[in-house]
Amino acid sequence: MAPSYVPNQGLSGLLKEGTKQVSGLDDAVLRNIDACRQLSALVRSSLGPNGMNKMIVNHLNKLFVTSDAATIVRELEVVHPAAKLIVMASEAQEREVGDGTGFVVAFAGELLDQAENLLRMGLNTAEVVQGYERAGQEALGILQELAVHKVSDIRDIKSVSKALTSCIASKQYGLEGTLAPLIAKACISVMPANANMFSVENIRVAKMLGGSITNSTVVQGAVLLRGSEGTIKRVSDARVAVYTCDFEASQSETKGTVLLKSAEEFTNYTKSEESMLESKIKAISEAGVSVIAAPKFGEVAMHFLEKYKIMAIKCMSKFDLRRVARTTKAIALAKMQTPTTDEIGRGDLVQVEEIGSTKCTVFRQEKEGSRLATILLRASTQNLLDDIDRAIDDAVNVFKGMTKDPRFVAGAGACELELSRRLQKFAETRPGLDQYCISKYAEALEVIPRVLAETSGLDATNMISTLVAAHAAGKATAGLDVEEGAVMDSVEASVFDQLIVKHWGIKLATDAVATILRVDQIIMAKTAGGPKPRDMQAGDANDEAP
Amino acid sequence: MAVRLLNPGAEVSRRGLALHTTISAAKGLQSVLRSNLGPNGTIKMLVSGAGDIKITKDGKVLLDEMQIQNPTSAMIARAATAQDEICGDGTTSTVLLIGELLKKAEQLLIEGLHPRVIVDGFDLAKTEILRWMEDQKIATKNDREVLVSVARCSLLTKLSEKVALNMAEMLTDAVLCIARPSQPIDLHMVEIMSLMSLSSGPSRLVKGITLDHGCRHPDMPKRVKNAYILTCNISMEHEKSEVTSGFYYSSADQREKMVDAERAVVDGRVRKLIALKKQVCDGTDKNFVIINQKGIDPQSLDLLAKEGIMALRRAKRRNMERVTLACGGLPVNSEEGLTPDVLGFAGIVYEEVHEDEKYTFVENVKDPFSCTVLLRGPNKHTITQMKDAVRDGLRAVKNTIEDGCVLPGAGGFEIAAYRHLRQYAESSVTGKTKLGVVAFAEALQVVPKTLAETSGHDALDSIIKLEEGCAKGDVVGLDLATGEPLDPKASGIYDNYIVKRQMVALAGVISTQLLLVDEILRAGRDASR
Repeated sequence: MAPSYVPNQGLSGLLKEGTKQVSGLDDAVLRNIDACRQLSALVRSSLGPNGMNKMIVNHLNKLFVTSDAATIVRELEVVHPAAKLIVMASEAQEREVGDGTGFVVAFAGELLDQAENLLRMGLNTAEVVQGYERAGQEALGILQELAVHKVSDIRDIKSVSKALTSCIASKQYGLEGTLAPLIAKACISVMPANANMFSVENIRVAKMLGGSITNSTVVQGAVLLRGSEGTIKRVSDARVAVYTCDFEASQSETKGTVLLKSAEEFTNYTKSEESMLESKIKAISEAGVSVIAAPKFGEVAMHFLEKYKIMAIKCMSKFDLRRVARTTKAIALAKMQTPTTDEIGRGDLVQVEEIGSTKCTVFRQEKEGSRLATILLRASTQNLLDDIDRAIDDAVNVFKGMTKDPRFVAGAGACELELSRRLQKFAETRPGLDQYCISKYAEALEVIPRVLAETSGLDATNMISTLVAAHAAGKATAGLDVEEGAVMDSVEASVFDQLIVKHWGIKLATDAVATILRVDQIIMAKTAGGPKPRDMQAGDANDEAP
Repeated sequence: MAVRLLNPGAEVSRRGLALHTTISAAKGLQSVLRSNLGPNGTIKMLVSGAGDIKITKDGKVLLDEMQIQNPTSAMIARAATAQDEICGDGTTSTVLLIGELLKKAEQLLIEGLHPRVIVDGFDLAKTEILRWMEDQKIATKNDREVLVSVARCSLLTKLSEKVALNMAEMLTDAVLCIARPSQPIDLHMVEIMSLMSLSSGPSRLVKGITLDHGCRHPDMPKRVKNAYILTCNISMEHEKSEVTSGFYYSSADQREKMVDAERAVVDGRVRKLIALKKQVCDGTDKNFVIINQKGIDPQSLDLLAKEGIMALRRAKRRNMERVTLACGGLPVNSEEGLTPDVLGFAGIVYEEVHEDEKYTFVENVKDPFSCTVLLRGPNKHTITQMKDAVRDGLRAVKNTIEDGCVLPGAGGFEIAAYRHLRQYAESSVTGKTKLGVVAFAEALQVVPKTLAETSGHDALDSIIKLEEGCAKGDVVGLDLATGEPLDPKASGIYDNYIVKRQMVALAGVISTQLLLVDEILRAGRDASR
């Protein structure tokens, strides 16, 4: 008799071969927590001004040296599903406010750590989730009351750079004095009349290897990282025409063939070609144009441009072209035609400059201001440039946030500790089981000052207790002085964090944690074919088959 | 077997073993989905082969994504997903009910009852419930409040509470918006659009259309008010001729003319549109928007931009249909003989940019017959979860409108049905079939029981309380917060009539089919090859 056909019992028997599944508290929830904790521990050490850098070689063998959490978690390529949720939360934070990604990862990790304690105490996950959500809601409410500083005039370089300092200090400690005013200047110069319309896109960073950071400057206008085509290298008070089509003899869509019947026609043809182009360029020149930007220049066209003393700037990227158009207020032309007065833009000075060993074309708009500003960044290595670029990006985002909500909370861990204290008080008033969860949530907030102390080489436990004591004594803005290892008043030291950064950070971390805790079963399909997965790294160490 | 009928590789399991296999598979599937039932159910995380994460507690999604291979389970899963396709909800309940029916049947089988007798009992019970259900209907008159409650009940089982409450109102309004008297509701007219961003506000209902692309010219207006909308399918770019063609020219001058002539065709079309715009807009504060299904090349865009016209190119076909439904007007296919009658109208048309993606909103339209549900979430899996839920929520509202009635929710229907079946078994069924009817009745209890379990209450305790309440003649459901009975009507907890009807009918059919299986054969590979 043929063998009887009995499939395996249990879930594994139901599913396709190779599918892994974990379920239940011990297998799923606690192991998820563990994975997230590892990820968080990894990122945590790079939080704050004294945070350590990470050296990451990603799958393309590109080297990153950074302490920017968003970059770290992105390049790590986390595969563990639960840890991935934390990564997604930090990505969302990057998208919403552009800063505070480290806060999200560190805080979420700590929340999960505390959740594990609660679960071991015997609470069930639903209760923990409920408690955390309640606490998160309350925390967001309290946060609104903690605003201690407001940038009243977002066009004032001094107050803006003061506000940006803390953000830059957490990424590039020591450079904040140089970078903050630069960024503030750049941001304010491109600020449109309606502050809400400020776009991050209008701040460009041109990275030039060599020199030092103090040599960095802000250019009102655009900088293209290549020289001009012809011999004309400098035009002041320029009139600029921008073409989105190739600057050469026009081509028909349908394929054209030149039909020549005699040698004479051949010479005539080239001549007619040339004279046609010349007449066009002459007309353009007569319209007053002295600079032309286009994606491509034909050789014949170049000849005539030289003849009529027009500067030619080749600009391969569509976006760069658009930027040139924006900064000179020119209207881009889709056809090689003579521009009207409206369509011609103006540049106070267009010139090719050699910075370091890089040639670049600079459009300066010193007189009437520009809609675009470029930070010319100088530093000694490419990695440093990239890292500073990321810091600038965060700072510009902070500025954008400022245009929407100019409120700031006390930095240096002061805000977290105050939140924690108020939440503890709130927990005491709650009758049910959720008081434990709220209290643990409050405890988790202490992770920020703790990490700040740890990375600065201070005795964290001691520092925290001193700080907590200070807050209990009513000093709501007492923060950690990472240099002295003492308690300071964050407001006096003007260390500020943006309120909306904290707002979204708390919200996203709480949501991610709630989602992770709610999952009681993970079903993983067999990894699809294709290229072999990269080496498993930390953070996903525990997803082997149950 | 005396003679070997099957090829040597084939597998076979017979009689008792076959039944056992079937029943344990059904129980297995039930135990997988059990924890996901109801508003307090836990969620499952599914990781696809490519590493994508899906987080859900929607039974349909789970069954679809889990790659079930066991034949019995696959059959149940297919039946349950069919349930979803018909009425959009109740997948998990169906799986639970089938599992429970087979579990009860197993007990009877052990006691020596023949499957056929049990099946007869199940059939009787099923027919009786379907008949009895008709008396239990609570007629509704499509008032918004009831519809919102139904949508809420459906969504609460799929999303977190906060999101669900907001969404219930949205979806009800969406369906009411597209519903036209005496015509079947076409849910395709509700476009679902998702944005990965939170800071710009929560999910909302756009009474109009959202298109997932923007205008492609930097100088076009990004925000226009009081706009005429021309929906057209006119190519505004150079199109190659079908035959291979070429130009012969002998001077640059000639070529220049040809280039101009080439453009002239397209330019002519664009000019006609511009003429229409001038006809309706000049001298008023009105604006003009063109939504074109075909392409518009840069030069044409340029011409349009100069006139201050906002033009969208390569709109999706289904959106073209919706634009005319939402804004009025007629889609046109030719630039010849354009009249102002073909234009639609919208109060405001604006573009938003999120993460390099452009979105165009057409809003404040007069009498929309199409609308867009705009979902916002922090990451992909949240959005997918919401999208699945939106589908179900829309179906729930649609079902209610089409049925014109609802049933009490929170397990209330099942408890009442249980009680009724018991009485029916006592009064009008004789012989061994009675056992089958009673088994069916008891199986129905699985829904309230599981609801109590997932909310952390003592299941038996709650069931007893419900039964007692039911015995008094009240309509009772389970209060998930306390585990005590409540009145589902007073709390606004309703279930769709068609969902429950399908559930009972499907579960009855599938379980009887499975019970009558006495042999499972699996073809094997021929060993001789």
